[in-house]
Amino acid sequence: MLVKDFKRDFYDVLQNQRVLVLVAFDVDALCACKILQYLFQCDQVLYTIVPVDGLQGLENAFLENAEGIKHVVLINCGAAFDIVEILQPEDHVRFYICDSHRPVDVHNFYNAVQVKLLMREDELSTIPSYDEVFRDDVSLISEDSGNESEDSETGYKRKRFDEESVLRRQERRRWNENREKVLFNYAKFTSYATSAALVMFELAWKLSKDTNNLLWLAIVGVTDQFIHFKTPREKYMEDIIALQSHVTRHNQRGSDDENIMSVNCLRISFEEELNLCLYRHWTLFESICHSMAIACKLRLWSLKGQKRLHEFLAEMGLPLNQCKQQFSAMESTMKPEVKTKMQEYMTKYGLVVQDVILPSFSLQYGYKNLMCATDYVLACTAVLESVDKSKHSTDNFLEASDILQRSSSEKFEAGLASAKLQLKSVVSQVQSFLDMHQIISAGPFLYVFVQEGTADSRFFAHPQCLIRLARFSLQAHCAVSRNKRAQSLPLVLGAPYNLEEGTSLVVGIPPLDTDDERKNFFGKAFEQASKSTSTTAKFHSFDSYIIEMKSEDKSKFFDALISILQ
Amino acid sequence: MLAEKALDLIRELHRTSSGTLSPYNEDKIRQVLEEMKTLFEQNKDKAHSVAEGQTDQLSSIQLRHAGIQRNKRCLLAYLYNRLEQIRKMRWEFGSVLPPDVKYNMCEQEVQWFNQYNRLLANYMRSIGESGGLDLTQDMKPPKTLYVLVRCLLDHGEFETQDGNIILLKKNSQHYLLRSECEHLIRQGVLEHVVQ
Repeated sequence: MLVKDFKRDFYDVLQNQRVLVLVAFDVDALCACKILQYLFQCDQVLYTIVPVDGLQGLENAFLENAEGIKHVVLINCGAAFDIVEILQPEDHVRFYICDSHRPVDVHNFYNAVQVKLLMREDELSTIPSYDEVFRDDVSLISEDSGNESEDSETGYKRKRFDEESVLRRQERRRWNENREKVLFNYAKFTSYATSAALVMFELAWKLSKDTNNLLWLAIVGVTDQFIHFKTPREKYMEDIIALQSHVTRHNQRGSDDENIMSVNCLRISFEEELNLCLYRHWTLFESICHSMAIACKLRLWSLKGQKRLHEFLAEMGLPLNQCKQQFSAMESTMKPEVKTKMQEYMTKYGLVVQDVILPSFSLQYGYKNLMCATDYVLACTAVLESVDKSKHSTDNFLEASDILQRSSSEKFEAGLASAKLQLKSVVSQVQSFLDMHQIISAGPFLYVFVQEGTADSRFFAHPQCLIRLARFSLQAHCAVSRNKRAQSLPLVLGAPYNLEEGTSLVVGIPPLDTDDERKNFFGKAFEQASKSTSTTAKFHSFDSYIIEMKSEDKSKFFDALISILQ
Repeated sequence: MLAEKALDLIRELHRTSSGTLSPYNEDKIRQVLEEMKTLFEQNKDKAHSVAEGQTDQLSSIQLRHAGIQRNKRCLLAYLYNRLEQIRKMRWEFGSVLPPDVKYNMCEQEVQWFNQYNRLLANYMRSIGESGGLDLTQDMKPPKTLYVLVRCLLDHGEFETQDGNIILLKKNSQHYLLRSECEHLIRQGVLEHVVQ
């Protein structure tokens, strides 16, 4: 059931209760969780936080911690499948689901007692109506069963019953067919709605407990969704505009000198940022090479592309030795010019505004730390998906959570360093895909595999990095491909996951020409393909378009996928 | 030099960083006491001659007497400061001192500590409602009643005062009553997350 009044039906109910919070492994969920934590601490609500990865993790975490718990909050997990069916909770347990995954399972939506959805109402308008998917005609069923036992009745009577029951059966068959169709259409595409962090921030705002700190978390959550290709640009802009009004409200300062805030306060400001990853903490040259939009437009992996980049930089009047040193150490007269110069000369190189400029926010406290929301997300994701074998995934979760706390800048620096490594590995992998012509068209889609034993393959055993790689590969392929159809083909990418068990991760991303929607149909396609080949493909995370499967089943699975998508 | 050894004791006291207890320097103390004794003996001899009317020895007697007084002050300061330190440790570590501290104490100090312990325990039992009040807890008033803690290792189940059972599994985070989890934090099972 959808919660209409978050304060009355969600927050007030939890007062003086112990709450179990289950959080998925992504930055948005982490931000939402942080906001909720702050709220709970304000009102001294006792809670336990357990990070969960994947369905199995969710089940285990619930089983282990469910004792004596009446209220469970699920953040960015749980909406897409029937939570009551899977977890088999006791009757008094209530689930509060704050999840940006769409579609929401119909059972969750129509469960009025145990499941409460913390979502925006207007984003759930496509859900099928109750009558289309559920039937409470208990009377019919009982009559039916009664009918069979009444065989000894007179012939006349039986005939009448038969006619009626045939009609009824026909009607039921029609209804069932319709139900299947409606459900299929409803669940055909997976997409993402408003970020969980933003929903939580709005709750905090309604409770008048919003602070600059929470606002920053909401910004990071929204940015995470955008730069991991979950929400389209339009939706991102919408959220940014909503957030901007909060930003101006919180960072309002009077014009006179007395009201100037101390430099040690947290300050958030709206900025038209350069759409270059980590450029504030890297060299401008490297940053351009690792930014998806520009790198693909200029084809920076080729020698020609490199020359073009040199030309571009020369035309902007930025000397190479300046571009190849840390951005922070660049000459101070050049730094502010970079953005305007880039906008000035970009059209000559076929770049559009969207490639170069990203409206975003930056955060400042103290003299040292000026950080952009995208940098923050990248650092946080890199820590969350750390490749360090000695660390358990929950260790990574806590470390990422520390970065969001902004308690130590060293941790953030370390996060940035690993984000750079991740980006580098993605770019070199894409380059090797293109050099070896490994991206192959299978007819209805493109596919490519990361070979086992590739040096950087350990990076690609994590969902966000895998999606980034898939997206980069697709964009790069479209940039070099002479085939006009490449724009309208989706890409399936496989990468080794666990060498000992012989499993791989497979991700499917939608074609580039539908990028303004960012809806993904691979969830259903994978499900059907695995059903028809009876291979075991299990969902790796809570995104249905990433699956984990046995490497040996791959060819069988792909044949099935081709026949389904044709 | 006269009364130099006593000063060594004070220097030693001064050198030890706060929060630790240096070994009880029995040797030095004995030497100081011996020095005092010889000074006293010398004075006693000379005092007789002064009483007989030889006043030329008077100033040397006074000098020795001042030396004795100074040694006494230094010894008392040494002992007193050690006791202060031990008392502080009682409030810090509780009624059982760590073995390395105990090893550095002399027998009289151990006795004093036990007596102090008894006095404090009796007092704490007498105040407050039934069962007394532990004064050593919350020496500074806590900012919040509840704290956010992280589990550092798999500890198993933990029952809170209100009967809830919490599973303390590695890397899970909990918001708990400060008084309940304090001993677990001391044991190193939980880590207090400072916000």
